[in-house]
Amino acid sequence: MTERQALLGAGVAHIALFAALSLGWASMERPPLFEEAVAVELLDVAPETRVTELPKPSMDAAPQETSAPPPAPEPEPAPPEPAPPEPAPTPDPVPKPQPPKPEPKPKPKPTPPKVAAAKPVPKPEKLDLAELSSLIDKSLPKAPKKVRDPQAFAKSIEISVPKAAKLDGRATASLAAAIRAQIAPCWNPPIGGSDVKKMTVVLAIQLTRDGRVVGQPTVVSQTGATGGNAGYAKAFADTAVRAVLRCAPLKLPADMYDAWKAFELNFDPSEMT
Amino acid sequence: MRHIFLAALLAATPAAAVIRVDINSGIAQPLPIAVPAFATPAATSTAAGSTAALGAQVAQVIANDLGSSGLFRPIDPAAYTTTVTMADTTVPQYASWRTVAAQALVTGSVTANPDGGITLACYAYDVFAGQELARQGFVTTAANWRRAAHKCADLVYSRLTGESGYFDSRIVYVSETGPKTKRIKRLAVMDQDGAGHRFLTNGQSLVLTPRFAPNQQTITYMSFQGNRPRVWVYTIGSGTQEAVGDFPNMSFAPRFSPSGDNLIFSMAVGGNTDIYRLDLGSRKLTRLTTAPGIDTAPSYSPDGSRIVFESDRGGTQQLYTMGAGGDGQTRISFGSGRYATPVWSPRGDLVAFTKLGGGQFRIGVMKPDGGGERLLTNAYQDEGPTWSPNGRVVLFFRSLAGRAGTANLYSVDLSGQNERKLRTPLDGSDPAWSPLLP
Repeated sequence: MTERQALLGAGVAHIALFAALSLGWASMERPPLFEEAVAVELLDVAPETRVTELPKPSMDAAPQETSAPPPAPEPEPAPPEPAPPEPAPTPDPVPKPQPPKPEPKPKPKPTPPKVAAAKPVPKPEKLDLAELSSLIDKSLPKAPKKVRDPQAFAKSIEISVPKAAKLDGRATASLAAAIRAQIAPCWNPPIGGSDVKKMTVVLAIQLTRDGRVVGQPTVVSQTGATGGNAGYAKAFADTAVRAVLRCAPLKLPADMYDAWKAFELNFDPSEMT
Repeated sequence: MRHIFLAALLAATPAAAVIRVDINSGIAQPLPIAVPAFATPAATSTAAGSTAALGAQVAQVIANDLGSSGLFRPIDPAAYTTTVTMADTTVPQYASWRTVAAQALVTGSVTANPDGGITLACYAYDVFAGQELARQGFVTTAANWRRAAHKCADLVYSRLTGESGYFDSRIVYVSETGPKTKRIKRLAVMDQDGAGHRFLTNGQSLVLTPRFAPNQQTITYMSFQGNRPRVWVYTIGSGTQEAVGDFPNMSFAPRFSPSGDNLIFSMAVGGNTDIYRLDLGSRKLTRLTTAPGIDTAPSYSPDGSRIVFESDRGGTQQLYTMGAGGDGQTRISFGSGRYATPVWSPRGDLVAFTKLGGGQFRIGVMKPDGGGERLLTNAYQDEGPTWSPNGRVVLFFRSLAGRAGTANLYSVDLSGQNERKLRTPLDGSDPAWSPLLP
């Protein structure tokens, strides 16, 4: 690209940007437009390529043939390669009277059995003197550094975990099956993506008693997402969210509401491809 | 020790609190999408017709693009319960689109600009989430509205699939007509969707294997012009054709390097056909292979570091790879049958090829190390694959059995699904897909 072209391009870009911004302002009061404008220029008017400057073109037969097709049917003097204003993909916060975005503020971490939730980090059941003094010394409000009796502690976990799980026991499995049976038929993952095998996403979902989704499912975690596939990772997570929203309301046993009012879904397509 | 307990604690806590359900299966269906006619703030006449009419045409082009991918199912506009006004383009009536089971929605507008051009605004929405997914504006000449529509379709495609689009691209191929013994073959180009078709050569000389340069301004191909089969270059902008070198021998199967600085092709010298690289700047010719037999159909990896080609040095046609300088030549195809016309995917992860065997020609793909071979088509004679710019679709040509020898262009998804015939005015062969247009 010559300097002139570059300058021209920059000029065009500025004009386009100015125009786009003007539109953006106009859209404040008028029907909303978009703010980013990308120029689409014609293919046919580009400058000659290196290929044509051949020292030995052996033009013997070429001219006849050349006369045949009408060259460049679109001799439009399109702007020279304007390299338009980078299309910032950010949907700028324009007047976007979007429907209320019900961000589910209640952090989707509501553990159904309140008891179990409180239990896991039990208060130090017994502190020894050293620990006590160290606490006093440092006036550190945080958890005691001293190790508890490992055995007892492990046991406390053991007790608390199965207790919650056991409450449901087999019921949990059938509840999971019921959820799976209703979500899977709505999940349409982007199978063709080259990174699909490595990707999973976990969503947190809250339901009302009649099985409706509270707010929107939120992404708890995602595997397989790298810097290079951010677009795919996003599209992938969207398909999981869409599956939940499409299939809601879910039909689940009312008497087990405490067990399914909040749960997580792990979407893993590795067996699908 | 302590860590183990902490880990156990962390792992145990959520498990105890919240059930987690694995979803390991789903469906693979085209996404229902609504593409209602684009709105216009004021119907204004342009060189390409009224903006109101353009709005409807733009929507059709977008719906056609998305539908042709096999990943979307455009909903019949007859089912729509609402039309889209200017206000609706940015605040869609989600409820209305849910009733027609649309999962995604594309809206937009066409506005006439004071300079005679148009501005096309393009928005994509997730209907069930009630959220905007993407938006983009395109400014262009009125006559160029199709490209703006393709760019809008690419935006929607990439946001919903996570892969780059491929709709704003073109196809060059060999248009064929006449009886098999006296076939007239002309170079022709068209948009990816078949629009804007035009012939580049007049058919006086037989032409084969056209390939785009990375800048899409030039096409290299083989022509029998002057009864000397040689590699030529066609410049689209000027319509000029030039032989790339006055080589004494037959040269064929040309392809540009990803940088556009080099051409690689085959040349037959003294009964041995090898692969050569021509530096288009310095005109320096470098021989890359020396093995006896025929080495041909070279194709660069997208980063330009490697070349895949076919060779019969081992007794039958097979695929090989080598470094860009000819180093490390390694056979990669080991299945039954023969392999020809390898093409490296723009994604870099696969090589498409023609497989010959069992009385059939079929299109297949394998990894560049030869693993994971898969056949995508199953017909009498499919050959000459070329990749869509995003490496998701393979275009090829299919010949029918019998004297007629008719050939047509077809596309198939990388999954082997969604096989489609492309509409061309005459028969077609030897297609090559351009990169995405700038």
